[in-house]
Amino acid sequence: MAIYRRNYKPYSGTTTPEWSRFLVLFRYSRRNLFRSKFMTAFFVICFFYPAVCLAVIYVAHSASFLAQFGLPGGILSIDNKFFYAFISVQGVFAFLLTAFAGPGLISPDLANGALPLYFCRPFSRAEYVLGKSSVLAILLSQITWVPGLVLFIVQASLAGASWTWTNLWIAGSLVLSSLLWIAILSLLAMALSAWVKWRIVAGALLLALMFFGAGFAQAINAVLRTESGHFLNVAYLMETVWNSLFQVDATHAIPVSQAWIALLLYCLICLALLMRKVRAYEVVQ
Amino acid sequence: MNDRIIFEDVSKFYGEILGVNRVNLSIPPGITSLVGPNGSGKTTLMNLMTGLVRPTRGRIQVLDYSIDDPENLFKIVGYSTQFDSFPKGLTGFQFVYSYLRLGGRDSQSAEQLAWRAIERVNLVDAAKRNVAGYSKGMRQRIRLAQALSHEPKVLVLDEPLNGLDPLARSEMIALFRSTAAQGCYVIISSHILHEVDVISDQVILLSNGYVVAEGKIQNVRSEIQEHPTQILIRCHQPRELAAKMLEYPHTIEVSIHKDERGLLLKTRDADRFYLAMNEIALSGIDIESVAPADDDVLSVYEYLIGSEEVVR
Amino acid sequence: MKKIWWAQIKAVIRLEMKKTFFAKRGLWIYVLAAMPVMLFVAYAIVSSHQQSRSANIARQGERQLSYQDLRAVHSGMTTEEVIAALGKPSASFDWSENRPSPTKPGVILNVLHEDYHYSDGQNDLFVGIADGKVENIHIRHANNLGQDSIMFAGVFQFFFLRLGIFFGCLGIFMNLFRGEILDRSLHFYFLAPVRREVVMAGKFLAGLLATCTIFVTSEILQTVAFLWHFPAGARDVYLYHNHGLEHAAIYLGVTVLACVGYGAFFLVAGMMFKNPILPAAAILIWEGINPFLPAVLRHFSVIYYLKSLCPVDIPSPPGTSPIFALLVSNADPVAPPIAIVGVLVVALIALYVSSLQVRRLEINYTAE
Repeated sequence: MAIYRRNYKPYSGTTTPEWSRFLVLFRYSRRNLFRSKFMTAFFVICFFYPAVCLAVIYVAHSASFLAQFGLPGGILSIDNKFFYAFISVQGVFAFLLTAFAGPGLISPDLANGALPLYFCRPFSRAEYVLGKSSVLAILLSQITWVPGLVLFIVQASLAGASWTWTNLWIAGSLVLSSLLWIAILSLLAMALSAWVKWRIVAGALLLALMFFGAGFAQAINAVLRTESGHFLNVAYLMETVWNSLFQVDATHAIPVSQAWIALLLYCLICLALLMRKVRAYEVVQ
Repeated sequence: MNDRIIFEDVSKFYGEILGVNRVNLSIPPGITSLVGPNGSGKTTLMNLMTGLVRPTRGRIQVLDYSIDDPENLFKIVGYSTQFDSFPKGLTGFQFVYSYLRLGGRDSQSAEQLAWRAIERVNLVDAAKRNVAGYSKGMRQRIRLAQALSHEPKVLVLDEPLNGLDPLARSEMIALFRSTAAQGCYVIISSHILHEVDVISDQVILLSNGYVVAEGKIQNVRSEIQEHPTQILIRCHQPRELAAKMLEYPHTIEVSIHKDERGLLLKTRDADRFYLAMNEIALSGIDIESVAPADDDVLSVYEYLIGSEEVVR
Repeated sequence: MKKIWWAQIKAVIRLEMKKTFFAKRGLWIYVLAAMPVMLFVAYAIVSSHQQSRSANIARQGERQLSYQDLRAVHSGMTTEEVIAALGKPSASFDWSENRPSPTKPGVILNVLHEDYHYSDGQNDLFVGIADGKVENIHIRHANNLGQDSIMFAGVFQFFFLRLGIFFGCLGIFMNLFRGEILDRSLHFYFLAPVRREVVMAGKFLAGLLATCTIFVTSEILQTVAFLWHFPAGARDVYLYHNHGLEHAAIYLGVTVLACVGYGAFFLVAGMMFKNPILPAAAILIWEGINPFLPAVLRHFSVIYYLKSLCPVDIPSPPGTSPIFALLVSNADPVAPPIAIVGVLVVALIALYVSSLQVRRLEINYTAE
C-alpha cells in the first residue's frame, strides 16, 4: 500500500499569453455594459448617421437616381468636408456613449476595494488601465473610424482609383482624428471615475467638463477680452485639430499646434491621475 | 383590534426572481424565528413586514397598521436590518438620537431614550465615537439600540447575533427574552439553529421562498410523518428493554447508547410507543427518563429542508 | 401642516445639511460656484491694472490727449504725422522683419516695424507702423460700467444660470436619494415613523438651502468683484440711478428660483433613474433647445421662465447667425409674476411626481 504525501502543487498547465490578459477585463466589462437595454439601443442608434452617409454616397454616384429629380451629377460632393461632417457627428455620439459607459468602468472597483484583488495576480496597473480603456477604445472605434473607413472604401470603389489616390490622406485623417478623440474621451472618463470613485458623479463631471468647460471658456473670453479661454474647451480644441487634419477652411482663435499641445496635456494629466489613483492599496486618513 | 402580524397570500417577485411566494402567516406575540438557508426569503419577509419592499400580491398587516402607513407603523415597529451601512459622519449616539428626532421626539426625550437604548446594548463607552470606526459587533449592537430606542411593540431583527462574541450573544438573547416577556413580538432571523432552538417560542421555516413549516417546534415535529420519531430512554437494563421494544410493530430501530445506560429508539407511532412504555415500566424494567431526541429546530430543519445549510 | 411634520422636516434638514455642505464628494460644486467669482476677480484685477497703466501712459506722454485725438489717427499716415498729431509716444516698441518685395519678385526687403502706445488716461490707442507708415490701429476702450453690465448679464444668463446652477443642482439634488441608495443608507429614513413625503420635503428643503447658500453667495461675490474696480462715483450712479441695485436683487431672486426649479427636476430624476446622468443630459438638451420648441412645450422648462425674469436683454452681436440670435433673444417673454408662478408650478409638478415616486420606492440595494 502506497502512502502519498499531500503537498502543494502549483498549476503546471498552459496559460494564456501574458500580453492578452488585459482582454479578460475587456470581455467582462463589455458584457456588463451590454446588459443595459438602453446601451444596446443607443449603440444601434449610433449607426444611423453612417447609414445615411452610405446612402448619400450611393446616391451621389447614381446618375439615374439624380436624373429622376432633375439634379446634375456633381451636386453631392463626397470630399474632405463630407468626412469632416461625418466625424463631427459621430464624435458627439462617441461623447454621449462615453458619458454613459465610461464612468462605470473603474469607479465600482475603487468603491468596492476590488483593486487589491486584481493586483494580487500577475496583472500590472498598466494592464488594468489598458484593459478598462480597451472597452471604450473598441466601442468608440466601432462608431467612428471603422464606419468612416467603410464609407471611404465604398466611395473609393465607386469613384475610382484617381479619386482614391488624391484623397487617400482623408482615410489617415479619419483614423488619426478618431483615435485622438477616443484617447481623450477614454482617459477623461476613467480619470474622473477614478478620482471621485462614484459612477454618477463621474458621469456628471464628464458632462460638466464638456458643457461647463465650454461655457466657462466663453465667459473667460468675454470678460477678460482674450482668446485663451478656449484652452478650457476640449471640444473646441478638438475641432481645431480636426479642421486642420481634414484641411477644412475655418478661422480659429488658437493655433493648431497649441491645440495639439493642450490636448496632449489633458491626456497626460488624466494618465497621472489614473496612475495616482489606481493602486493596490489606499491610504486612509 | 388585531393582535397578530398577518400575511395574507403574500408573494414578492424581484423581476423574474422569486422572493417569497404565497405566504400566509399569523404571528402571535413572543419570539418567532425565521429559519431557512441563504436565499430562502427570510430578509424579504422582514422587508415586506416593514414596508421596505412592497408585495407583488397579497396583504400585510402589522397589528392595526398597514405597511403603507410608515408614520404609525414605525411607532410600534423597530427593525434592525442586515445592511451594514450607516449615514455618514454620525457617532453611535447621534445615530440613535437622530432616528428618534426623525420620529418627532423633542431633544430632551430623544436624548433620554437614546442613552437608555445604548445602555441596554452595553455600548455607552463607544457611543460618542464615529460609527465608521466601530467593529462589526459594535455596529450590530448600535443597530439593535436604534431598533429598540423607541420601545417598540414589534421588534424585527435580521441576523441580530451575527458578529457578536459569546458574552454579547447571551446578553442579547436575554434582552430578546425580556422584551418578549413584556408581551412584545420579537421576530428574529438566524442560521444558528441551536440558538434559535433555545430562544424561540415558535419558528417559521422557509425554503426557496416558500414557508415549509410554522408553529411551535414540537407541534411541527409531530406533523412530520415520513421521519420516525427518535426517543432517548435512560435505564439500567438497556439490552432487556431493547429486546422488549423490538416486539412492538411500531418500533423501527433500536440502538444501545455508548455508555450502556440507555438506548435510542426510532418509532413510527409516538402515541403507541408511550402506551407501550407504560406496560414495560410495569414489567419491572427501571426507566430513569424518556425524552424526545429530535423535536428541536435542527432536526426539523434537516427533515424539511436538508442538512447542507445547517449551522450547528 | 401638522406640527410634528415640521419637527420631522427640521430633523431631516439637520441630518442632510452636514452631508450636503461638508461632503468631500460635493467639493466640486463649490469649485463650480467659485469659478465665476474668480473670473470677475480676475476681471477686476486686469481692469485695475489696465486703468493704472493707461493713466501712467497718459501722464508720461508729451501732451495731454483727448479721445478725439486718439480717433484722429488713420491708416496710411506717416510716423511724422502721427508724432505731430499726438506727440512722441511714452511707450513704443520696434522690430524688423524680412518681407518679400511686392513689386520686385525674389527681392527680400527689411521692414522696420514700430508699435506706438498712446492713452487719454482711460482709452488706449495702439498704432502699428511699418516702414514709416501706419499699417494698423486698435483702440482699446476703457471699461464702461453700462457696457460691462451687459457682459455681466451675459455671463449670468449663459454661464452661471444655464451651466453653473444647473450642474450644482444636479450634484446636490441627485445625491439626495440616489446617493443614499448607492451608500445603502436610505432605509435609515424609511424605518423611522415619518411619512415618506415628509422625508422628501425635508431632503428637498435641505438641498435648496445648500444650493441657495452656495449660489447666492457666489452671485453676491460676483457682483462685488464686478463692481470692485469702478470708481465710487460710477458705481453709485449705476447702483442707485441706473437700476443696478434692482438688477442685483433680481439676479439673486432668479438664482433662488433656478435652484427651486432645477432642484425639483433633479430630485425626481434621482428617484426615478438608476443612472441619472441620462435624464440630466436630456434636461440639459431640453433647456438648450427651449427657444426652438413650440410655444406649448416651451412652458415646461425652467429656463423659459428664468429668461423672462432676467433684467437685461442681451443684444446679439452684429453678424450672428439667426439660430444664435434666437438662442440669445427672448422672443416670447412672460410677465414677471407669471414667470415666478410658472417656475413654482413646474417645480410643484416635479415635487408631486417625486412624492408619488417616494411612496413607491423600495429598498433593494443589490439591484443598483
